[in-house]
Amino acid sequence: MKKAYIDTLTALMRSHNDIITITADMGFSVYENLQKEFPTRFYNTGVTEQASIGFSTGLALSGYTVFFYAQAAFATMRCFEQVRLDVGYNNLNVKIVGVNAGFSLNQLGVSHFTQEDIGLMRLIPGMTILSPGDPYEMKWALLQAYQIDGPVYIRFSKVGSKDIHKTGDKLKVGHPFLISKGNQSALIVSGGMLELAYDAVKELEKKKIKINLYTMPTVKPIDKIAIRKILALYKNIFVVEEHNIIGALGSAISEITSESASKSIITRIGVPDIFTGVTGSIPYLLDLNGLSVNKINSKILTTLTKRH
Amino acid sequence: MTQKQFFKHKRTSLITSEIDNLKKTAFDVRKKVFSMILTAHASHLASAYSIVEVLVYLYQKVLHLNPSKPASPNRDRFILSKGWGVSALYVLLSKKGFFSKKLLNEYCKDGSKMIGIATRNGIRGIEATTGSMGHGLPIGVGLAKAMKLQGKKNRTVVLISDGECDTGSTWESILLAAHHKLDNLLVIVDYNKWQSFGRTNEVLNLEPLINKWKAFNWHAEMVRDGHDFYQIDKAFKKCFVVRDKPQVIIAHTIKGKGLSAIEDRNEWHYQTPRENEIKVAKLEGLI
Repeated sequence: MKKAYIDTLTALMRSHNDIITITADMGFSVYENLQKEFPTRFYNTGVTEQASIGFSTGLALSGYTVFFYAQAAFATMRCFEQVRLDVGYNNLNVKIVGVNAGFSLNQLGVSHFTQEDIGLMRLIPGMTILSPGDPYEMKWALLQAYQIDGPVYIRFSKVGSKDIHKTGDKLKVGHPFLISKGNQSALIVSGGMLELAYDAVKELEKKKIKINLYTMPTVKPIDKIAIRKILALYKNIFVVEEHNIIGALGSAISEITSESASKSIITRIGVPDIFTGVTGSIPYLLDLNGLSVNKINSKILTTLTKRH
Repeated sequence: MTQKQFFKHKRTSLITSEIDNLKKTAFDVRKKVFSMILTAHASHLASAYSIVEVLVYLYQKVLHLNPSKPASPNRDRFILSKGWGVSALYVLLSKKGFFSKKLLNEYCKDGSKMIGIATRNGIRGIEATTGSMGHGLPIGVGLAKAMKLQGKKNRTVVLISDGECDTGSTWESILLAAHHKLDNLLVIVDYNKWQSFGRTNEVLNLEPLINKWKAFNWHAEMVRDGHDFYQIDKAFKKCFVVRDKPQVIIAHTIKGKGLSAIEDRNEWHYQTPRENEIKVAKLEGLI
Protein backbone atom coordinates (compact mmCIF):
# COMPACT_ATOMS: atom_id res chain seq x y z
CA MET A 1 0.00 0.00 0.00
CA LYS A 2 2.75 2.43 0.94
CA LYS A 3 4.48 1.77 -2.38
CA ALA A 4 1.30 2.51 -4.32
CA TYR A 5 0.89 5.62 -2.16
CA ILE A 6 4.36 7.05 -2.69
CA ASP A 7 4.52 6.12 -6.40
CA THR A 8 1.19 7.80 -7.11
CA LEU A 9 1.96 10.86 -4.99
CA THR A 10 5.35 11.28 -6.69
CA ALA A 11 3.71 11.07 -10.12
CA LEU A 12 1.07 13.60 -9.07
CA MET A 13 3.69 16.01 -7.75
CA ARG A 14 5.66 15.71 -10.98
CA SER A 15 2.66 16.72 -13.06
CA HIS A 16 1.10 19.28 -10.69
CA ASN A 17 3.24 22.08 -9.28
CA ASP A 18 0.56 23.16 -6.82
CA ILE A 19 0.94 20.08 -4.59
CA ILE A 20 2.85 20.38 -1.32
CA THR A 21 3.40 17.39 0.95
CA ILE A 22 3.57 17.94 4.69
CA THR A 23 4.43 15.24 7.19
CA ALA A 24 4.26 15.43 10.97
CA ASP A 25 7.57 13.59 11.34
CA MET A 26 6.32 10.37 9.75
CA GLY A 27 7.49 8.64 6.60
CA PHE A 28 10.75 6.86 7.39
CA SER A 29 11.60 4.77 4.28
CA VAL A 30 8.65 6.35 2.43
CA TYR A 31 9.54 9.96 1.72
CA GLU A 32 13.34 10.01 1.31
CA ASN A 33 13.30 10.22 -2.50
CA LEU A 34 10.35 12.61 -2.62
CA GLN A 35 12.17 14.93 -0.23
CA LYS A 36 15.22 14.94 -2.50
CA GLU A 37 13.19 15.49 -5.65
CA PHE A 38 10.98 18.28 -4.24
CA PRO A 39 12.99 20.14 -1.59
CA THR A 40 10.66 23.16 -1.70
CA ARG A 41 7.43 21.17 -1.89
CA PHE A 42 8.02 18.68 0.90
CA TYR A 43 8.14 19.74 4.55
CA ASN A 44 8.52 17.79 7.75
CA THR A 45 6.83 20.01 10.30
CA GLY A 46 7.81 17.89 13.29
CA VAL A 47 5.47 16.57 15.93
CA THR A 48 3.08 19.50 15.58
CA GLU A 49 -0.17 18.04 14.24
CA GLN A 50 -2.31 20.97 15.40
CA ALA A 51 -0.03 23.66 14.02
CA SER A 52 0.57 21.56 10.91
CA ILE A 53 -3.12 21.61 10.05
CA GLY A 54 -3.09 25.41 10.47
CA PHE A 55 0.11 25.61 8.40
CA SER A 56 -1.53 23.46 5.69
CA THR A 57 -4.57 25.75 5.88
CA GLY A 58 -2.42 28.83 5.24
CA LEU A 59 -0.82 27.11 2.24
CA ALA A 60 -4.20 25.96 0.89
CA LEU A 61 -5.63 29.48 1.31
CA SER A 62 -2.73 30.62 -0.90
CA GLY A 63 -3.65 28.24 -3.70
CA TYR A 64 -1.73 25.05 -2.89
CA THR A 65 -3.14 21.55 -2.58
CA VAL A 66 -1.66 20.03 0.53
CA PHE A 67 -1.25 16.32 1.29
CA PHE A 68 -0.79 16.11 5.05
CA TYR A 69 0.57 12.77 6.27
CA ALA A 70 0.64 11.42 9.81
CA GLN A 71 -0.33 8.33 11.80
CA ALA A 72 -4.10 7.96 11.44
CA ALA A 73 -4.52 8.32 15.21
CA PHE A 74 -2.70 11.64 15.31
CA ALA A 75 -3.78 13.04 11.92
CA THR A 76 -7.40 12.92 13.03
CA MET A 77 -7.80 12.76 16.80
CA ARG A 78 -4.98 14.99 18.00
CA CYS A 79 -5.98 17.86 15.74
CA PHE A 80 -9.66 17.15 15.16
CA GLU A 81 -10.73 20.66 16.05
CA GLN A 82 -8.21 22.18 13.64
CA VAL A 83 -9.36 19.83 10.86
CA ARG A 84 -12.97 20.78 11.54
CA LEU A 85 -12.57 24.55 11.78
CA ASP A 86 -9.53 25.40 9.65
CA VAL A 87 -9.89 22.85 6.87
CA GLY A 88 -13.51 21.67 6.99
CA TYR A 89 -15.27 24.97 7.49
CA ASN A 90 -13.23 26.61 4.74
CA ASN A 91 -13.66 23.63 2.41
CA LEU A 92 -9.95 23.74 1.62
CA ASN A 93 -7.79 21.48 -0.52
CA VAL A 94 -6.08 19.78 2.37
CA LYS A 95 -5.90 16.02 1.86
CA ILE A 96 -5.29 14.31 5.16
CA VAL A 97 -3.52 10.98 4.85
CA GLY A 98 -3.90 8.77 7.92
CA VAL A 99 -1.37 5.98 7.74
CA ASN A 100 -1.07 2.87 9.94
CA ALA A 101 -4.75 2.87 10.82
CA GLY A 102 -6.55 0.09 12.70
CA PHE A 103 -4.19 -2.41 14.28
CA SER A 104 -1.28 -1.67 11.90
CA LEU A 105 1.03 -0.77 14.76
CA ASN A 106 0.13 -4.04 16.43
CA GLN A 107 2.82 -4.10 19.10
CA LEU A 108 2.28 -0.52 20.23
CA GLY A 109 -1.08 -0.77 21.98
CA VAL A 110 -4.02 1.56 22.40
CA SER A 111 -2.02 4.77 21.90
CA HIS A 112 -1.38 3.76 18.29
CA PHE A 113 -4.47 1.65 17.50
CA THR A 114 -6.95 3.69 15.45
CA GLN A 115 -10.60 2.61 15.40
CA GLU A 116 -12.20 6.05 15.64
CA ASP A 117 -10.74 8.12 12.80
CA ILE A 118 -13.38 7.53 10.13
CA GLY A 119 -16.20 8.19 12.59
CA LEU A 120 -14.67 11.52 13.53
CA MET A 121 -14.02 12.57 9.95
CA ARG A 122 -17.59 11.63 8.96
CA LEU A 123 -18.85 14.34 11.32
CA ILE A 124 -17.21 17.10 9.31
CA PRO A 125 -19.50 18.52 6.62
CA GLY A 126 -17.96 18.33 3.16
CA MET A 127 -15.23 15.87 4.12
CA THR A 128 -14.72 13.10 1.57
CA ILE A 129 -13.47 9.87 3.14
CA LEU A 130 -11.60 7.34 1.05
CA SER A 131 -10.55 4.03 2.56
CA PRO A 132 -8.64 2.06 -0.07
CA GLY A 133 -8.41 -1.72 0.26
CA ASP A 134 -5.62 -2.65 -2.14
CA PRO A 135 -2.88 -0.91 -4.15
CA TYR A 136 -5.29 -0.36 -7.05
CA GLU A 137 -7.76 1.44 -4.81
CA MET A 138 -4.91 3.39 -3.22
CA LYS A 139 -3.80 4.78 -6.56
CA TRP A 140 -7.42 5.57 -7.43
CA ALA A 141 -7.99 7.26 -4.05
CA LEU A 142 -5.00 9.57 -4.43
CA LEU A 143 -5.94 10.59 -7.96
CA GLN A 144 -9.50 11.26 -6.80
CA ALA A 145 -8.30 13.21 -3.77
CA TYR A 146 -6.40 15.59 -6.02
CA GLN A 147 -9.39 16.02 -8.35
CA ILE A 148 -11.93 16.65 -5.59
CA ASP A 149 -12.29 20.33 -4.69
CA GLY A 150 -12.28 20.31 -0.89
CA PRO A 151 -11.00 18.31 2.04
CA VAL A 152 -10.39 14.57 1.78
CA TYR A 153 -9.38 12.01 4.38
CA ILE A 154 -7.49 9.01 3.00
CA ARG A 155 -7.15 6.18 5.47
CA PHE A 156 -5.02 3.12 5.10
CA SER A 157 -3.51 0.39 7.18
CA LYS A 158 -0.77 -2.16 6.82
CA VAL A 159 -3.15 -4.86 5.71
CA GLY A 160 -4.40 -4.76 2.15
CA SER A 161 -1.23 -5.00 0.11
CA LYS A 162 -2.45 -7.85 -2.08
CA ASP A 163 -4.00 -6.83 -5.41
CA ILE A 164 -7.67 -7.78 -5.51
CA HIS A 165 -8.77 -5.55 -8.37
CA LYS A 166 -8.16 -6.23 -12.03
CA THR A 167 -6.63 -3.53 -14.19
CA GLY A 168 -9.41 -1.52 -15.74
CA ASP A 169 -11.92 -1.85 -12.88
CA LYS A 170 -13.98 1.33 -12.96
CA LEU A 171 -14.32 2.81 -9.47
CA LYS A 172 -16.46 5.84 -8.70
CA VAL A 173 -16.53 8.03 -5.59
CA GLY A 174 -19.52 7.10 -3.42
CA HIS A 175 -20.27 3.88 -5.24
CA PRO A 176 -19.80 0.23 -4.31
CA PHE A 177 -17.97 -1.98 -6.79
CA LEU A 178 -18.89 -5.62 -7.28
CA ILE A 179 -15.78 -7.76 -6.88
CA SER A 180 -17.38 -11.20 -7.14
CA LYS A 181 -20.92 -12.20 -7.87
CA GLY A 182 -22.94 -14.57 -5.74
CA ASN A 183 -26.58 -15.53 -5.50
CA GLN A 184 -27.57 -14.58 -1.97
CA SER A 185 -26.69 -11.87 0.56
CA ALA A 186 -24.10 -9.17 0.11
CA LEU A 187 -20.90 -8.45 1.90
CA ILE A 188 -19.75 -4.86 1.64
CA VAL A 189 -16.16 -4.28 2.69
CA SER A 190 -14.12 -1.14 3.12
CA GLY A 191 -10.39 -0.55 3.44
CA GLY A 192 -7.71 -3.07 4.32
CA MET A 193 -10.26 -5.78 5.16
CA LEU A 194 -10.83 -6.29 1.42
CA GLU A 195 -8.40 -9.19 1.17
CA LEU A 196 -9.81 -10.88 4.27
CA ALA A 197 -13.37 -10.48 3.00
CA TYR A 198 -12.30 -11.82 -0.39
CA ASP A 199 -10.81 -14.91 1.25
CA ALA A 200 -13.89 -15.32 3.45
CA VAL A 201 -16.23 -15.27 0.46
CA LYS A 202 -14.01 -17.81 -1.37
CA GLU A 203 -14.10 -20.04 1.69
CA LEU A 204 -17.90 -19.89 1.85
CA GLU A 205 -18.08 -20.85 -1.81
CA LYS A 206 -16.59 -24.20 -0.84
CA LYS A 207 -19.70 -24.69 1.32
CA LYS A 208 -21.91 -23.76 -1.67
CA ILE A 209 -22.78 -20.39 -0.15
CA LYS A 210 -22.25 -17.75 -2.79
CA ILE A 211 -22.19 -14.22 -1.44
CA ASN A 212 -21.90 -11.03 -3.50
CA LEU A 213 -18.75 -9.20 -2.53
CA TYR A 214 -18.74 -5.43 -2.91
CA THR A 215 -15.84 -3.14 -2.12
CA MET A 216 -16.64 0.35 -0.91
CA PRO A 217 -13.50 2.49 -0.97
CA THR A 218 -15.58 5.61 -0.25
CA VAL A 219 -17.11 6.03 3.19
CA LYS A 220 -18.38 9.57 2.55
CA PRO A 221 -20.22 10.70 0.50
CA ILE A 222 -22.25 7.58 -0.31
CA ASP A 223 -24.56 7.32 -3.27
CA LYS A 224 -27.78 6.28 -1.53
CA ILE A 225 -29.43 5.05 -4.70
CA ALA A 226 -26.56 2.65 -5.38
CA ILE A 227 -26.85 1.26 -1.84
CA ARG A 228 -30.65 0.98 -2.08
CA LYS A 229 -30.20 -1.12 -5.21
CA ILE A 230 -28.20 -3.64 -3.16
CA LEU A 231 -30.73 -3.44 -0.32
CA ALA A 232 -33.52 -4.23 -2.78
CA LEU A 233 -31.75 -7.38 -3.92
CA TYR A 234 -30.63 -8.98 -0.66
CA LYS A 235 -32.17 -9.49 2.74
CA ASN A 236 -28.89 -9.95 4.58
CA ILE A 237 -26.13 -7.41 4.24
CA PHE A 238 -22.81 -7.76 6.04
CA VAL A 239 -20.45 -4.81 6.37
CA VAL A 240 -16.83 -5.58 7.20
CA GLU A 241 -14.27 -2.97 8.23
CA GLU A 242 -11.33 -2.42 10.58
CA HIS A 243 -12.94 0.32 12.66
CA ASN A 244 -15.13 0.63 15.70
CA ILE A 245 -18.56 -0.69 14.65
CA ILE A 246 -19.80 2.77 15.63
CA GLY A 247 -19.28 5.55 13.16
CA ALA A 248 -17.85 4.20 9.92
CA LEU A 249 -19.23 2.32 6.89
CA GLY A 250 -21.42 -0.08 8.89
CA SER A 251 -23.12 2.88 10.52
CA ALA A 252 -23.45 4.74 7.23
CA ILE A 253 -25.12 1.75 5.52
CA SER A 254 -27.37 1.21 8.54
CA GLU A 255 -28.46 4.85 8.43
CA ILE A 256 -29.35 4.59 4.75
CA THR A 257 -31.22 1.34 5.40
CA SER A 258 -33.21 2.69 8.34
CA GLU A 259 -34.31 5.69 6.29
CA SER A 260 -35.50 3.62 3.35
CA ALA A 261 -38.36 1.18 2.93
CA SER A 262 -35.91 -1.72 2.90
CA LYS A 263 -36.45 -4.81 4.99
CA SER A 264 -32.80 -5.78 4.75
CA ILE A 265 -30.92 -6.50 7.94
CA ILE A 266 -27.46 -5.03 8.31
CA THR A 267 -24.86 -6.94 10.29
CA ARG A 268 -21.86 -4.84 11.20
CA ILE A 269 -18.66 -6.81 11.44
CA GLY A 270 -16.02 -4.52 12.85
CA VAL A 271 -14.06 -3.82 15.99
CA PRO A 272 -16.41 -4.08 18.99
CA ASP A 273 -16.87 -0.94 21.06
CA ILE A 274 -14.16 -1.80 23.57
CA PHE A 275 -10.48 -0.88 23.85
CA THR A 276 -7.98 -3.58 22.94
CA GLY A 277 -5.58 -3.68 25.85
CA VAL A 278 -3.17 -6.31 24.59
CA THR A 279 -0.41 -6.61 22.03
CA GLY A 280 0.17 -9.27 19.38
CA SER A 281 0.49 -9.87 15.66
CA ILE A 282 -1.91 -8.08 13.33
CA PRO A 283 -3.83 -11.32 12.48
CA TYR A 284 -4.03 -12.11 16.22
CA LEU A 285 -5.49 -8.69 17.10
CA LEU A 286 -7.90 -8.75 14.18
CA ASP A 287 -9.08 -12.25 15.08
CA LEU A 288 -9.46 -11.21 18.71
CA ASN A 289 -11.87 -8.56 17.47
CA GLY A 290 -13.80 -10.89 15.17
CA LEU A 291 -11.93 -10.01 12.00
CA SER A 292 -10.55 -13.25 10.52
CA VAL A 293 -11.83 -15.51 7.78
CA ASN A 294 -13.13 -17.98 10.36
CA LYS A 295 -14.80 -15.45 12.61
CA ILE A 296 -16.33 -13.48 9.73
CA ASN A 297 -17.72 -16.65 8.22
CA SER A 298 -19.01 -18.01 11.45
CA LYS A 299 -20.85 -14.70 11.99
CA ILE A 300 -22.27 -14.86 8.48
CA LEU A 301 -23.34 -18.51 8.83
CA THR A 302 -24.95 -17.98 12.24
CA THR A 303 -26.84 -14.97 10.95
CA LEU A 304 -28.05 -16.74 7.81
CA THR A 305 -29.14 -19.83 9.77
CA LYS A 306 -31.00 -17.73 12.35
CA ARG A 307 -32.88 -15.78 9.73
CA HIS A 308 -33.91 -18.63 7.49
CA MET B 1 2.30 55.35 -2.52
CA THR B 2 4.91 53.09 -4.13
CA GLN B 3 6.52 50.32 -2.12
CA LYS B 4 9.80 52.32 -2.05
CA GLN B 5 8.14 55.49 -0.81
CA PHE B 6 6.25 53.43 1.71
CA PHE B 7 9.37 51.99 3.29
CA LYS B 8 11.08 55.41 3.28
CA HIS B 9 8.04 56.77 5.03
CA LYS B 10 8.22 53.86 7.47
CA ARG B 11 11.69 54.82 8.61
CA THR B 12 10.75 58.24 9.89
CA SER B 13 8.79 58.82 13.09
CA LEU B 14 5.15 59.74 13.14
CA ILE B 15 4.53 63.48 13.24
CA THR B 16 2.09 65.03 15.70
CA SER B 17 -0.68 65.58 13.16
CA GLU B 18 -0.49 61.91 12.12
CA ILE B 19 -0.75 60.83 15.74
CA ASP B 20 -3.72 63.13 16.22
CA ASN B 21 -5.45 61.58 13.21
CA LEU B 22 -4.82 58.06 14.49
CA LYS B 23 -6.16 59.02 17.91
CA LYS B 24 -9.27 60.46 16.33
CA THR B 25 -9.83 57.26 14.35
CA ALA B 26 -9.33 55.18 17.49
CA PHE B 27 -11.93 57.26 19.29
CA ASP B 28 -14.39 56.88 16.40
CA VAL B 29 -13.85 53.12 16.42
CA ARG B 30 -14.59 52.93 20.15
CA LYS B 31 -17.77 54.96 19.68
CA LYS B 32 -19.07 52.72 16.93
CA VAL B 33 -18.08 49.51 18.77
CA PHE B 34 -19.96 50.72 21.85
CA SER B 35 -23.13 51.33 19.88
CA MET B 36 -22.87 47.97 18.04
CA ILE B 37 -22.37 46.00 21.23
CA LEU B 38 -25.08 47.89 23.07
CA THR B 39 -27.61 47.39 20.27
CA ALA B 40 -26.82 43.70 19.88
CA HIS B 41 -26.68 43.04 23.65
CA ALA B 42 -23.35 41.49 22.87
CA SER B 43 -20.24 40.74 24.91
CA HIS B 44 -16.47 41.32 24.45
CA LEU B 45 -16.57 45.12 24.62
CA ALA B 46 -13.42 45.20 26.75
CA SER B 47 -11.62 42.73 24.44
CA ALA B 48 -12.26 44.98 21.46
CA TYR B 49 -11.18 48.14 23.29
CA SER B 50 -7.92 46.48 24.26
CA ILE B 51 -6.74 46.26 20.62
CA VAL B 52 -8.12 49.45 19.07
CA GLU B 53 -4.82 51.35 18.76
CA VAL B 54 -2.93 48.38 17.31
CA LEU B 55 -5.71 47.74 14.79
CA VAL B 56 -5.93 51.40 13.80
CA TYR B 57 -2.16 51.57 13.32
CA LEU B 58 -2.19 48.38 11.23
CA TYR B 59 -5.00 49.50 8.95
CA GLN B 60 -3.81 53.11 8.61
CA LYS B 61 -0.05 52.63 8.46
CA VAL B 62 0.99 49.05 7.78
CA LEU B 63 -1.24 46.80 5.74
CA HIS B 64 -1.22 47.00 1.93
CA LEU B 65 -4.81 46.25 1.03
CA ASN B 66 -7.12 47.15 -1.76
CA PRO B 67 -10.71 47.19 -0.45
CA SER B 68 -12.09 47.05 -3.98
CA LYS B 69 -10.03 43.89 -4.64
CA PRO B 70 -10.14 42.15 -1.26
CA ALA B 71 -8.79 38.88 -2.70
CA SER B 72 -5.86 40.42 -4.57
CA PRO B 73 -3.02 37.85 -4.43
CA ASN B 74 -0.45 40.50 -3.53
CA ARG B 75 -2.26 41.85 -0.50
CA ASP B 76 -0.87 41.70 3.01
CA ARG B 77 -2.70 39.27 5.23
CA PHE B 78 -4.01 40.16 8.65
CA ILE B 79 -5.42 37.53 10.99
CA LEU B 80 -7.23 38.57 14.12
CA SER B 81 -6.51 35.43 16.09
CA LYS B 82 -8.32 36.83 19.11
CA GLY B 83 -11.42 36.75 16.98
CA TRP B 84 -13.70 37.81 19.81
CA GLY B 85 -12.45 41.40 19.40
CA VAL B 86 -13.86 41.45 15.88
CA SER B 87 -16.29 44.34 16.42
CA ALA B 88 -13.35 46.79 16.29
CA LEU B 89 -12.03 45.10 13.15
CA TYR B 90 -15.43 45.31 11.45
CA VAL B 91 -15.52 49.05 12.11
CA LEU B 92 -12.06 49.54 10.61
CA LEU B 93 -12.83 47.36 7.58
CA SER B 94 -15.93 49.40 6.95
CA LYS B 95 -13.95 52.66 7.37
CA LYS B 96 -11.45 51.37 4.79
CA GLY B 97 -14.28 50.65 2.37
CA PHE B 98 -14.41 46.84 2.48
CA PHE B 99 -18.13 47.01 3.10
CA SER B 100 -20.81 49.59 3.85
CA LYS B 101 -21.39 51.14 7.25
CA LYS B 102 -24.91 49.73 7.17
CA LEU B 103 -23.55 46.21 7.54
CA LEU B 104 -22.17 47.15 10.96
CA ASN B 105 -25.76 47.39 12.18
CA GLU B 106 -26.12 43.69 11.44
CA TYR B 107 -23.61 42.80 14.16
CA CYS B 108 -24.83 39.66 15.97
CA LYS B 109 -28.36 39.95 14.58
CA ASP B 110 -30.48 36.89 13.71
CA GLY B 111 -29.22 35.27 10.52
CA SER B 112 -26.40 37.79 10.06
CA LYS B 113 -22.93 36.96 8.78
CA MET B 114 -21.51 39.66 11.05
CA ILE B 115 -20.73 37.05 13.69
CA GLY B 116 -19.31 37.95 17.10
CA ILE B 117 -16.14 35.97 16.38
CA ALA B 118 -14.04 36.58 13.25
CA THR B 119 -15.39 34.06 10.74
CA ARG B 120 -14.29 33.62 7.14
CA ASN B 121 -17.78 33.44 5.68
CA GLY B 122 -17.74 35.99 2.91
CA ILE B 123 -17.40 39.18 4.97
CA ARG B 124 -14.83 41.08 2.92
CA GLY B 125 -11.49 41.54 4.64
CA ILE B 126 -11.81 38.68 7.12
CA GLU B 127 -9.00 36.27 6.23
CA ALA B 128 -9.50 33.44 8.72
CA THR B 129 -11.94 31.90 11.12
CA THR B 130 -10.50 32.28 14.59
CA GLY B 131 -11.61 32.68 18.15
CA SER B 132 -11.07 29.08 18.98
CA MET B 133 -7.78 29.74 20.72
CA GLY B 134 -4.52 29.01 19.02
CA HIS B 135 -5.80 28.83 15.43
CA GLY B 136 -4.64 32.16 14.01
CA LEU B 137 -0.89 31.82 14.29
CA PRO B 138 -0.58 28.37 12.65
CA ILE B 139 -2.61 29.63 9.68
CA GLY B 140 -0.49 32.79 9.56
CA VAL B 141 2.68 30.69 9.42
CA GLY B 142 1.25 28.81 6.42
CA LEU B 143 0.32 32.07 4.68
CA ALA B 144 3.77 33.54 5.29
CA LYS B 145 5.45 30.37 4.02
CA ALA B 146 3.30 30.44 0.87
CA MET B 147 4.32 34.08 0.27
CA LYS B 148 7.97 33.05 0.45
CA LEU B 149 7.43 30.09 -1.89
CA GLN B 150 5.63 32.32 -4.37
CA GLY B 151 8.39 34.96 -4.19
CA LYS B 152 6.03 37.63 -2.90
CA LYS B 153 7.18 40.64 -0.93
CA ASN B 154 4.03 41.08 1.12
CA ARG B 155 3.60 40.43 4.81
CA THR B 156 1.46 38.41 7.20
CA VAL B 157 0.42 39.98 10.50
CA VAL B 158 -1.29 38.03 13.27
CA LEU B 159 -2.75 39.56 16.42
CA ILE B 160 -3.03 37.05 19.25
CA SER B 161 -4.24 37.31 22.83
CA ASP B 162 -2.21 36.57 25.93
CA GLY B 163 -4.61 33.71 26.71
CA GLU B 164 -3.68 32.13 23.40
CA CYS B 165 -0.10 31.92 24.65
CA ASP B 166 -1.39 29.04 26.80
CA THR B 167 -2.12 26.87 23.78
CA GLY B 168 0.14 24.20 22.40
CA SER B 169 -0.68 25.03 18.79
CA THR B 170 0.58 28.59 19.31
CA TRP B 171 3.92 27.35 20.61
CA GLU B 172 4.13 24.67 17.90
CA SER B 173 3.76 27.39 15.31
CA ILE B 174 6.25 29.64 17.07
CA LEU B 175 8.77 26.83 16.53
CA LEU B 176 7.69 26.36 12.91
CA ALA B 177 7.90 30.04 11.97
CA ALA B 178 11.41 30.43 13.38
CA HIS B 179 12.57 27.20 11.75
CA HIS B 180 11.40 28.51 8.37
CA LYS B 181 12.98 31.95 9.06
CA LEU B 182 9.72 33.70 8.15
CA ASP B 183 10.80 37.33 8.35
CA ASN B 184 7.59 38.28 6.54
CA LEU B 185 5.58 37.28 9.62
CA LEU B 186 4.81 39.72 12.42
CA VAL B 187 2.87 38.82 15.55
CA ILE B 188 1.40 41.19 18.09
CA VAL B 189 0.50 39.84 21.52
CA ASP B 190 -2.32 41.82 23.10
CA TYR B 191 -1.03 41.49 26.65
CA ASN B 192 -3.90 42.86 28.74
CA LYS B 193 -3.20 40.34 31.52
CA TRP B 194 -6.72 38.95 31.63
CA GLN B 195 -7.90 35.62 30.34
CA SER B 196 -11.30 34.02 30.52
CA PHE B 197 -11.39 33.23 34.23
CA GLY B 198 -8.70 35.38 35.81
CA ARG B 199 -5.37 37.19 35.68
CA THR B 200 -2.88 35.54 33.35
CA ASN B 201 -0.21 35.38 36.05
CA GLU B 202 -2.64 33.64 38.39
CA VAL B 203 -4.21 31.24 35.89
CA LEU B 204 -1.07 30.22 34.01
CA ASN B 205 1.92 32.47 34.31
CA LEU B 206 3.43 33.47 30.97
CA GLU B 207 6.42 35.35 32.32
CA PRO B 208 9.09 35.97 31.24
CA LEU B 209 7.05 36.16 28.04
CA ILE B 210 9.40 38.20 25.85
CA ASN B 211 12.33 35.98 26.76
CA LYS B 212 10.37 32.91 25.75
CA TRP B 213 9.82 34.29 22.24
CA LYS B 214 13.48 35.33 22.03
CA ALA B 215 14.56 31.86 23.11
CA PHE B 216 12.45 30.46 20.27
CA ASN B 217 14.55 32.52 17.81
CA TRP B 218 12.10 35.35 17.23
CA HIS B 219 12.96 39.03 17.14
CA ALA B 220 10.95 40.47 20.04
CA GLU B 221 9.97 44.05 20.85
CA MET B 222 8.15 45.29 23.91
CA VAL B 223 5.62 48.12 23.85
CA ARG B 224 5.07 49.37 27.37
CA ASP B 225 1.86 51.19 26.46
CA GLY B 226 0.01 49.44 23.68
CA HIS B 227 -2.34 52.40 23.37
CA ASP B 228 0.42 54.91 22.56
CA PHE B 229 0.82 55.32 18.81
CA TYR B 230 4.33 56.70 19.13
CA GLN B 231 5.51 53.57 20.95
CA ILE B 232 3.58 51.24 18.63
CA ASP B 233 5.12 52.95 15.62
CA LYS B 234 8.65 52.63 16.99
CA ALA B 235 8.25 48.90 17.63
CA PHE B 236 6.81 48.18 14.18
CA LYS B 237 9.62 50.06 12.49
CA LYS B 238 12.23 48.08 14.39
CA CYS B 239 10.54 44.87 13.30
CA PHE B 240 10.33 45.86 9.65
CA VAL B 241 14.11 45.88 9.20
CA VAL B 242 14.65 42.43 10.73
CA ARG B 243 15.76 39.73 8.29
CA ASP B 244 15.63 35.93 8.64
CA LYS B 245 13.54 35.96 11.80
CA PRO B 246 9.84 36.32 12.47
CA GLN B 247 9.02 39.23 14.76
CA VAL B 248 6.78 39.63 17.76
CA ILE B 249 5.60 42.77 19.53
CA ILE B 250 4.48 42.21 23.09
CA ALA B 251 2.03 45.07 23.55
CA HIS B 252 1.07 45.80 27.16
CA THR B 253 -2.53 46.91 26.97
CA ILE B 254 -5.49 47.57 29.22
CA LYS B 255 -8.58 45.49 28.79
CA GLY B 256 -11.49 47.86 28.21
CA LYS B 257 -9.18 50.84 27.51
CA GLY B 258 -11.08 54.01 26.66
CA LEU B 259 -14.16 53.65 28.86
CA SER B 260 -13.22 54.21 32.50
CA ALA B 261 -16.17 52.20 33.82
CA ILE B 262 -14.88 48.96 32.30
CA GLU B 263 -11.10 49.40 32.22
CA ASP B 264 -9.08 46.47 33.53
CA ARG B 265 -12.19 44.61 34.71
CA ASN B 266 -12.67 41.10 33.43
CA GLU B 267 -16.46 41.02 33.70
CA TRP B 268 -16.52 43.18 30.54
CA HIS B 269 -15.34 40.15 28.61
CA TYR B 270 -18.89 38.89 29.14
CA GLN B 271 -21.36 41.63 29.97
CA THR B 272 -23.37 44.08 27.91
CA PRO B 273 -23.20 47.74 29.02
CA ARG B 274 -26.03 48.77 31.33
CA GLU B 275 -27.26 52.02 32.88
CA ASN B 276 -24.04 52.94 34.70
CA GLU B 277 -21.73 52.19 31.76
CA ILE B 278 -24.03 54.08 29.40
CA LYS B 279 -23.92 57.08 31.75
CA VAL B 280 -20.12 57.00 31.87
CA ALA B 281 -19.91 56.45 28.12
CA LYS B 282 -21.96 59.63 27.61
CA LEU B 283 -19.72 61.59 29.98
CA GLU B 284 -16.65 60.33 28.14
CA GLY B 285 -18.06 61.17 24.73
CA LEU B 286 -18.52 57.61 23.45
CA ILE B 287 -22.23 58.13 22.88
